[in-house]
Amino acid sequence: MFLKHLDLTTALRPLYLPDEVLLFVQDNVGLYEGKYKLPNQQNGQVYLTSHRVCYVDKIEPRKYSAALDLKEVDRYEFYAGFFKSSAKVTIVPKPLRRSALHNRVMSGTGVNSRHSTPSPTSSNDAYAPPTGPPPAAATWVCNICSFSNPVPSNFDPAAANAHTPLPPCLACGIKPALSLVLKAAISSASRPSPSPNPSQPGNINNYTFSSASAVTLGLVDPFATPGEQRKSDTAIAFQCPRCTFSNHPSLLSCEMCGAPLLSQDAPPTISTAEYIRILSQSPGPIKDTSQGAVDFAESVKISFRGGGEKIFYERLKSAMTQRKWLLQDAPPAPKSSRMADDNSSSGSPGTPTQRTKTAGIAGLEQLGLNMRKNNEILIGSAFEDLEALMTSAKEVVALAERFAQQVNGASADVTSKENTILAESAHQLGLITTKDIVGSGGGSDSLYFSELARNLAEFLTDDARGVLKRAGGILTLVDLWAMFNRARGGVELVSPMDFEKAAQMWEALKLPVRLRTFRSGVMVVQARDRTDDATIRSILAWLQDLHEFPPDREVAWDWREFGRGVTAQDTAERFCWSLGVAEEELLMAEEQGVLCREEGLEGLKFWKNYIGKTDIAVLQKREAQEEADAILRRLKDTGLI
Amino acid sequence: MATTTASEPFPFPREYFFPAFFTRQPNLTIHHAQLTKWSSLVLAYARHHRIFRLALSAAADSDLFYNRQLDRRLAPPDIREVVDFMRKDGRAEYLQPGDAGAGSSGSNSNGDASTASTAASAGAGAGDVVLIYWRKPQEWAALIEAYVDETAQKGSVLTVYELTEGENTRGTEFHGMDNGVLMKALNILVKRGKAQIFGSEDSLGVKFF
Repeated sequence: MFLKHLDLTTALRPLYLPDEVLLFVQDNVGLYEGKYKLPNQQNGQVYLTSHRVCYVDKIEPRKYSAALDLKEVDRYEFYAGFFKSSAKVTIVPKPLRRSALHNRVMSGTGVNSRHSTPSPTSSNDAYAPPTGPPPAAATWVCNICSFSNPVPSNFDPAAANAHTPLPPCLACGIKPALSLVLKAAISSASRPSPSPNPSQPGNINNYTFSSASAVTLGLVDPFATPGEQRKSDTAIAFQCPRCTFSNHPSLLSCEMCGAPLLSQDAPPTISTAEYIRILSQSPGPIKDTSQGAVDFAESVKISFRGGGEKIFYERLKSAMTQRKWLLQDAPPAPKSSRMADDNSSSGSPGTPTQRTKTAGIAGLEQLGLNMRKNNEILIGSAFEDLEALMTSAKEVVALAERFAQQVNGASADVTSKENTILAESAHQLGLITTKDIVGSGGGSDSLYFSELARNLAEFLTDDARGVLKRAGGILTLVDLWAMFNRARGGVELVSPMDFEKAAQMWEALKLPVRLRTFRSGVMVVQARDRTDDATIRSILAWLQDLHEFPPDREVAWDWREFGRGVTAQDTAERFCWSLGVAEEELLMAEEQGVLCREEGLEGLKFWKNYIGKTDIAVLQKREAQEEADAILRRLKDTGLI
Repeated sequence: MATTTASEPFPFPREYFFPAFFTRQPNLTIHHAQLTKWSSLVLAYARHHRIFRLALSAAADSDLFYNRQLDRRLAPPDIREVVDFMRKDGRAEYLQPGDAGAGSSGSNSNGDASTASTAASAGAGAGDVVLIYWRKPQEWAALIEAYVDETAQKGSVLTVYELTEGENTRGTEFHGMDNGVLMKALNILVKRGKAQIFGSEDSLGVKFF
């Protein structure tokens, strides 16, 4: 299936692949598959990254979110919208292997249309060949007579071996070598250009089909309406697109020339009830999931109901041109010519062939020298111009990080080490939400804030970083703000205002962190599961422990009975909280009546509440018990019992 | 500081040894509980030592409000708050300046009972002395009435001195009672028509019906 399931982070954002860069976000979008709306994916956000297009559903993100890989995208189109029909970007997948065969055997596949509104494009134009099977498009040139023969449709380059039967040349009848056909098949499959050349003899051109058979390609029929039953000339013989021989409809390939034939399945019908349901919202039918055509490569449309389609289209275009997914495992870019010149002209022992020969201290020195030289070359070439910098960005960043580590290692400062950890994890700069990757439109600001909120939540809950964990599960907003901006490495800093607004959206977005405001107005960040009750419980457990362990010095009171008073400082140390947080938590616990305070020369101390209400109840119970005892005793004395 | 009829020391409650008990609690619920406990402590302490009047400035340094063992004390404003709380409960009353003069003169003339407290009250300014009702005046009145009834002295005339210091009342609860409190109790009986007070300042007489 073209749309794949999408893994989400804790903050309900797509989980990014290594080196993936976020390019654009837009909310209020819906998905179409082919012509039909996907009923569960009508309100969400679309994330355009360098590798994927991700859809995250708003209502049930874990269930209905989907993604499609850009590397599987064949082409994409832009539709500007018309009356009630919103602007859309259509993404057409690369054709699946043997899709033609599938088309033949499977009934009930959907009808594809590029747009939901009929457009007056010519049929020639509409019959672009995205689903034309690649084996059919491949040709091999006969060694003997140089005739261009088609590679057989059932020829699989991956599975082919010496025993695979190969058809002879159509002109001279000589069997080709396996390597020849193999080469032809592979070269045609890896050919990036999707558009076929009509002059190519081996290619099937769809426009030679009758309009009925074009529909069955699972492609486009601009005049088709889904309700129409189409049976123009299904009964008659199937005409070969290449040699025009009339074949029997059940044949897979032309009897005369061997060209693959395509099916004539009738398009499915759509019930009127479904229509009524859809029409209430926005134009365009909804895809009926009961139809079994799941693995059918259909185009996906993204409907932009809140604007942003133009930027999305532009960014998609640039992402498709850059094709970053190819770089994922690619070796580093070839060294610049200057470096090669340097190496050759100097003729020093730093050339790779000689490096292996040296050993011992001299070898180590040589190694160091080489590394420095390489660094120098890298930096020199990278900063030659902006273009060069862009291409070698990855290496330069790695180099800079290594330098930073060395510097920090020398100073051996604890805080700087902490910063390094943060900076290290911040090298996933692509994950950062900035204002310009968020789509414009009516509610662009709120989209920015919600993205920032998700970003923050991810930052907080990231296990590798453990920001929240190290702060004892609670952190003041100011501290977080400082940490977050530092982690961004000094670029694209977030203003305090935006930060606060984003933090306030956590609740609404159902993220795993929450913002809490203490009575004094101090705002803190906490994990969602960390409630006041949990905090109080942990404080009480701690105070209870103090009954068991004798205090550091002699105390006047009975510590076995009352334990000891704790200051905010003690609490901060005990729970790894910041001092302000500890104070606020203690005050909160006091407000709940769990703690009581003692103001003395040593400052404000908090005790477990031995004054409070629960104690009174105990006291009254005891009094009642005593009274009952006294009555009993008196009764005994008088001899009644 | 007060006349101690019982020789054994006052058994302080558990909270008295809890350091936080001496700090005013900002939480309303805890504060209320704290006031309740302080109030019962003051009453129990007064009953134990048969204190009828408490001079607040002097009492702040007494065992009652100052735990020397813990080195914690209840601050004067907090003491006043406790007294106010008791007053609302009908368990304490500030001695009015005029009243105080009458009371102190009466007790001075009446003998050596509760000299310490009266001396303290005489020395302190107005509003400093508090009558502690570990028995309310109504309860005192009932006690006196019961005594008169028991000893068949209805219709006879007793002096106030006889009631508090006389040989006959020895062993009753109100023996050695503070004059001010006694007058309040007797006045209640007068209002009910059970007694009549007559005589001059120094030699008051009461007739019971």
